[in-house]
This record gives sequence, structure tokens and C-alpha cells, in this order.
Amino acid sequence: MQTIRKSVATFAMLALAGGAMAQSYPEREISGVIQWSAGGATDVVSRAITPHVEEIIGKKIVMQNKPGGVGAIATNFVYQQSADGYTLLYGAENPQLHAVMGIANLDYSKFYPINILGRGKVVVIANNDKPWKSFRELLDDIEANPGKIKMGTAGPGSVPHTVSAMITAVAKLPVTAVPFDGDGPGLTALQGGHIDFMASSLGSAAEHIKAGRMRVLAVLSDTAMTDSALGNIPPITDALPGVAKYLPWGPFYGVFAKRDIPEEAKAKLSAAFRKAAQSPQFIELMNGRHNEIVNLSGEEADAFLKKWQSVTAWILQGAGLAKHSPAEFGIPKP
Amino acid sequence: MTAALDYFLMSWLDPHLMFLTAAGTFAGIYIGAIPGLSVTMAVSILISFTFKWDMNSALAVISGIYLGGVYGGSRSAILLNIPGAPSAVATGMDGYPLAKRGEAGAAIGLTTVVSVFGGFIGILALAAAAPLVSELALKFAPRDYLLLAMWGILLVGSLSGDSLAKGIFAGAIGVLIGMVGLDPMTAEPRFTFGTVTLTAGISYIAAMIGFFGVAEVLVQLHELHIKAVRQDVSKILPSFGLIRKYLPLATRTSALGVVVGALPGAGGDIAALMAYDHAKRTVKNPSRPFGQGAYEGLVAPESANNAAVGGAYIPMLTLGIPGDAVTAVIIGAMYIHGLKPGPMLMIETPHLFWFQVGSLALANIFLLIFGLTGIRIFAKIVEAPKPILLPLILVLSAVGAYAINNNPADVYWMLGFGVFGYFLKMYGFQVGPVILGIILGPLMDRSFRQAMISAGEDPVQFAGEFLTSPLSAAILAALVLSMASQSSWWRKLRGKRDMHEPLARELEDSASAGNV
Repeated sequence: MQTIRKSVATFAMLALAGGAMAQSYPEREISGVIQWSAGGATDVVSRAITPHVEEIIGKKIVMQNKPGGVGAIATNFVYQQSADGYTLLYGAENPQLHAVMGIANLDYSKFYPINILGRGKVVVIANNDKPWKSFRELLDDIEANPGKIKMGTAGPGSVPHTVSAMITAVAKLPVTAVPFDGDGPGLTALQGGHIDFMASSLGSAAEHIKAGRMRVLAVLSDTAMTDSALGNIPPITDALPGVAKYLPWGPFYGVFAKRDIPEEAKAKLSAAFRKAAQSPQFIELMNGRHNEIVNLSGEEADAFLKKWQSVTAWILQGAGLAKHSPAEFGIPKP
Repeated sequence: MTAALDYFLMSWLDPHLMFLTAAGTFAGIYIGAIPGLSVTMAVSILISFTFKWDMNSALAVISGIYLGGVYGGSRSAILLNIPGAPSAVATGMDGYPLAKRGEAGAAIGLTTVVSVFGGFIGILALAAAAPLVSELALKFAPRDYLLLAMWGILLVGSLSGDSLAKGIFAGAIGVLIGMVGLDPMTAEPRFTFGTVTLTAGISYIAAMIGFFGVAEVLVQLHELHIKAVRQDVSKILPSFGLIRKYLPLATRTSALGVVVGALPGAGGDIAALMAYDHAKRTVKNPSRPFGQGAYEGLVAPESANNAAVGGAYIPMLTLGIPGDAVTAVIIGAMYIHGLKPGPMLMIETPHLFWFQVGSLALANIFLLIFGLTGIRIFAKIVEAPKPILLPLILVLSAVGAYAINNNPADVYWMLGFGVFGYFLKMYGFQVGPVILGIILGPLMDRSFRQAMISAGEDPVQFAGEFLTSPLSAAILAALVLSMASQSSWWRKLRGKRDMHEPLARELEDSASAGNV
């Protein structure tokens, strides 16, 4: 019995050593876990870049969606896998707020950012039947008729929710906030006239704006945005200069792996995603969805993530929307 | 117009596209028939490897899988009393009793014909009235979804079997299960007991596989010694007279299916349940009492859920708004293929619309062909020895439960609900209301709160909006009417002359048992 066990152990060690010597990363398929369900914004960006990465690294990345818990399920799952570089997390900004929202304690600081792929632009849009020509007019109307105007919003930490917190931080916003399951259902309700205005990622709203089904009032930026199809969109700072200190802000998409995966895997994956993010097809998709390409990895990406978390968490805290103070988790003030 | 016709016929004339549509439909039927293997899943897997294809090929396969899959769910519901998909929950109510009588062949034949009929109504609505229907769908405010969900929850009365009290109890359990997870509006964890796993909530498909699949397997273990019923497969195609008899009902339920399918917040599952309820309330002389193998109990839900497919495409193609989970995945695929789904899609790429209509119509024809062939072999499944069949179902259920979200927790839920469902069934509780509660509970929760918040949290304003909005008032009137038409005073008012004696007595009994 002893000898069998010994020989098995020796054999296993030999096999491991042999494997390590003969092959380099990646020697088999990689598993890609998407935080959101199929067809969503994160899913589309993730599935669009992956084939280009596969071409570069020469191995398949098998994608699966593990939606649920505003991204907490997938994040937790990848965190529980071994740190061998064979499980990637395709995610959006949400886990950065899970702690202050009391959903989970895991955020991207426990992960290595292989690439922050892109950032979405945010716009404020209004129902077509409303008279407002500018964001200022909307704010004046809100002030004149407190509680009368219906604003669409979504779960805590979502784009509409955070933007309304930013506005609340610098101005009064006595609106009736009707929560929806996300940008999509909110925009649908906006077209049906069930809400009057909403902040949304431009990617979700762009086609509806182009078709003239809703009116864009402002872009969440300190400079105006000009687009051939959308025309000239004034910045939100025209009406509310105070918002400038939170900018630039927007949802983002990225690819992550556990912090302590082998250096070789980090280097290879970062290089592959960096190159794939420059492929014309991917750039076209990102432009089509009005996402800015960020293409950052490693330390730069860490800095990006930290800044985003600090800004957003403290906005929510300032608006009284955070469940736990960011200070409890050592998130510094911006 | 000729250009539109060209695009419509594209998949009919190109052998490659035709083959893809046929293959998709064929695969869809089997994907739909296996509990847990869902159309949404099949389509999202397909997207990954159609990345390099052109969009038309991908859309052709998806059309087939979608129509085939929605139909396929009825197969396992009829043969095994295990709905292959949530939209087939109602189908088993009368389908399985038919299989027990040895009429599985006829049941599947009729189901196929009405499914194809419903499918065509859906496609017709898509082709002829898409902009109209999508504008109507947009008009549905949160309070209208609330009314719809309330209408749906009344179905507990239709699904609870002998005891309404037990039905309500089962429905309440379903609502409770549906509440687990993060609150959709505030992300407040509900019934999660501090675990991350529970923040995802409980997948209603996992619950369905458990309550229907696993529980049914456990119940049937009691019947291992009973010899399987021999299935009569000599006559599969329903007679023309039979089809003509059900045409009015199928037309009504198909129209219901189109509208509910087009609503972004409701889909084929709710449409099928509402259609079943509609049949049960309006058909005066069913071929047999409902729940014992009434043909009407197959016609209504199966025409409605296939009509809902065309319905779901309506907001997707006209506005870029997904009508359900499957169309949401298709929208994602369009982006990856360089298209921009949205209101401009029909203006900038009208060919895509007509191509889609054409490939759906073609898939529907293939559905008729594949649906009607192979029934003989399929019907034999019921005759297969239980010691082989039951373990097989259990394994497939586990695979299916895992495949929903690639989450092992769903498998545990499935097993847990299976055991729980077994005891429910043994003590005379129906499991149908549980699923109803899981589907409609969260819809009511969300739409009630949205409607109440929209009304400024003022109950008077809230109640008033039901009357001042024409759409809400119409739905409310229909809801009240459908409730009133079941009450005893209504029947006294109408007189019992136009009813069959035994049926009238039966209705009276159920009314006196407290079944309003």
C-alpha cells in the first residue's frame, strides 16, 4: 500500500514537472465567465472581443453567463476558482459598489485587471411629448412642480441611480423616482410615457434618439458631444457646473482574473487583450454602441478602478443612498 | 413590395438557408422537449459559434430553434407530465391525462396543428401589424402589468385541482420562492441569510424542473409495477372537423398570445397560462372535463405560446426592445454582427425584417412536418419501461438545471424542490400554482410598487389611474367580467338552459366549494 501511494505521488510529481517544462500558458482552453445575462451590454462587449483574443493566444475561451446578484454571483464564482489563469471574469462596474451597497464584500481589488475594455457615455433623455429643450428647463420645471415629474431609475449603483445622486449632490431634485430593472425597461417606459425623463447609458438610448423617439437633453461630460447622427449634445455642466468635479464618469466593461495568477499568464493575457482591443471590428462595435475604448491593464487599470470606486461610492454616500459608509471599507475620499 | 417578397422568400429559395432553418427547427423540438434545455440557452450557445457566419444564416437557425423549442416543450408535458419549458406548464394539465388514456398520438397531433396555427397568427401579426402592436405594447404601464399579473394569479383557481385552499397555499409558496434574492428595486437582500449564493435568487426554471420533473419521477416510482398504457398511434392527424371546431378558440388564444408575447415584461409562459384559463372559463362543453384530457386544454395554451413567438419579435424588430429572453439574446447577436437593432433597423435595413418574417414562416412549415412525423416513436416513450425511463429523466433534469445559469446551486434547488414537490403531490397539493406564483409574484411585486410610486404613493390617485387610463380601464373591465362570469349569481342571471346538465352541476359544486 505504502509503495503504491509513493509511486503514485512520484508519478504525479513527474507529470506535473513535465507538464510545466514542456508547455507554457495557455496549454488548454480558458473559461470565461460573464457577469450579466446573454444579450446584455456586458455580454455583447465580452463576446465581441473574445474571438480576437482567441486568435492571438491560440486557445479557445469558452464563454458562459452566470448572471445574478448584480454581478456578485459570477465575481464570487471566479474568486473561488484556483488562481491558475484559466478562469476569466468578464464584468462591468457593479462589484466596485457591492460593499457600500451591502450586497457582497468582494470587489475588483481582489482581481488583476487584464483589460478595462471601454467606458460608456451617459446621457439625460426626455420623453418626446415634454416641452423641455434643455436640461436647465427640465431642472426649472422640476423645481416649480416638486414631486410632479417622474424620473426613471434603476437599482442602487446603476447608471440612472448614480447620476441622480450626482445631481442631488449639487442641486435639488424633488422628482418621483420610479425604479426599473435597468436601462432597457426604463427606456421602454419612457417611450410609453410612463416616466418623463431618465439618465441612461448612450449605448442603450442611441438608436431611439436617432429615430426621434426620445429627446436627449445633456451628456454627462464637461464638454459638448458632437455626433453625425445624434447632432450636438450640450454637456450637463452647462446647467449644473458643480457636477464637473465627478467627471469623467460612466459605466465600464473589463476582463479580470484572480490577483495571484502566474506572472506569465498576466503578461500573455494583458498583451493579447490589449492587441485585440485594437482590432477594427471591435473598435467598430464599440463606436456603434457609443463606448469609449479605454484599453488599460495592470497598474493603470488599478488606478482607474480605484478612482472610479472612490468617486462613485462617495457620491452615493453624499446622497444618503449608500448602506455602509465607504470609509468602513477604506475607500478614500476623491 | 417585390423587394420585400424577395427577402421574404430568401430562406425558401436558398438551399443552404433552408437547410439551416430545417435543422434549427428539428433541434429546437428536442431542445424544447428536454426539461431545462431552454431555447434561450441554445440560442446563446449558438451565437458564439455563428460569430463568423453572416447574420442571415444565424437568424435562420435561431428562428427554427425558437419556434421548435416553444413547441417542443409540449412533448414532454403530454408524454411524461413534465413540461419541457415554462410555457408548457398548462399543456400537461390535459395532455398527460390523454397520454394516460392511450391517446398521446392524437394529443401530439392536435398540439402540432394548433401550434403551427398559432405560429402563423403570430407571424401574420408581425408582418401586417408590427408597428401597431409595438405601440400598443409600449402603452402598457406598470399598473397594466399589475392587472395582467392579477388576472394570471386568479388561475390558481383553475390549477388547484380538488381543493382551492391547497391551491392558494401552493401559490403562496411560489410567491415566497420568487421573492428570494436581491430586491429588484433597492437591491436589498431578501431571504438570503447573508449568503452570496442566494443573492441570485432561485431560478424559476430550476424550480419548475424540480416540482414537475423530479417530483413526478418520485411519484411515478409508486407505479413501477403498473403496466404502461398502450398508445394508440393509428390516428395522429386530427380530423378537419375537429380542427374547424377549435378554430375560433385557437384564434382567440393566438391573438392573446401575440399581445402578451409582444409585451416586454411578459412572454409565452404567461400567455399560455392565461390562454388555458380563458379556455376553461369560456368553453361550455369541453370534449372532456378540464384536467381529465380536454382537447381544449391543449388547443388554448399551445396556440398561444407559439403565437407569442411572432409577438416577441414585434418590439424587437420595430423598436429594438426585446419581447422576452430569447429576443434579448438575438439583439445582442445583432450588435456583434455589426447591426444596430433599434427603431432605425426597419428603416435602414428593411430586408432584415422581411427575411426574418420569411424564415419564421418557413420554420413554421418545417414545424408542421417534423411535428407530425416521428410521433409514433415519441409516443412509445410512454411505453418504455419505467426503471429505464425514470433515472434517465432525473439525469436530464440535473443537466438541464445546471445549464440554466451554469450554477450548481440550481441543481440543489431542483433536487430540494423535487422532494418537496413529491410530498406536496402525495398530500393532494398541485404544483402548477407554485410555478404560477414564482412567475407572477415578482411581476406583481415590481409592477405594484412601480405603479404606486408613479402615483406619488397616494392610494386614491393610484386607484383612480385604473379608471382614467382607457387601457387600464379596459383590462380591469375584462378582469372583472371574467371573475363575475364564474360567480353563481351570474349564472342565475343567464339561466342554466344553455348548459349541459352535468357540467352545470359540476360548476355549481365548485361554486359552492368556494371556487369563485
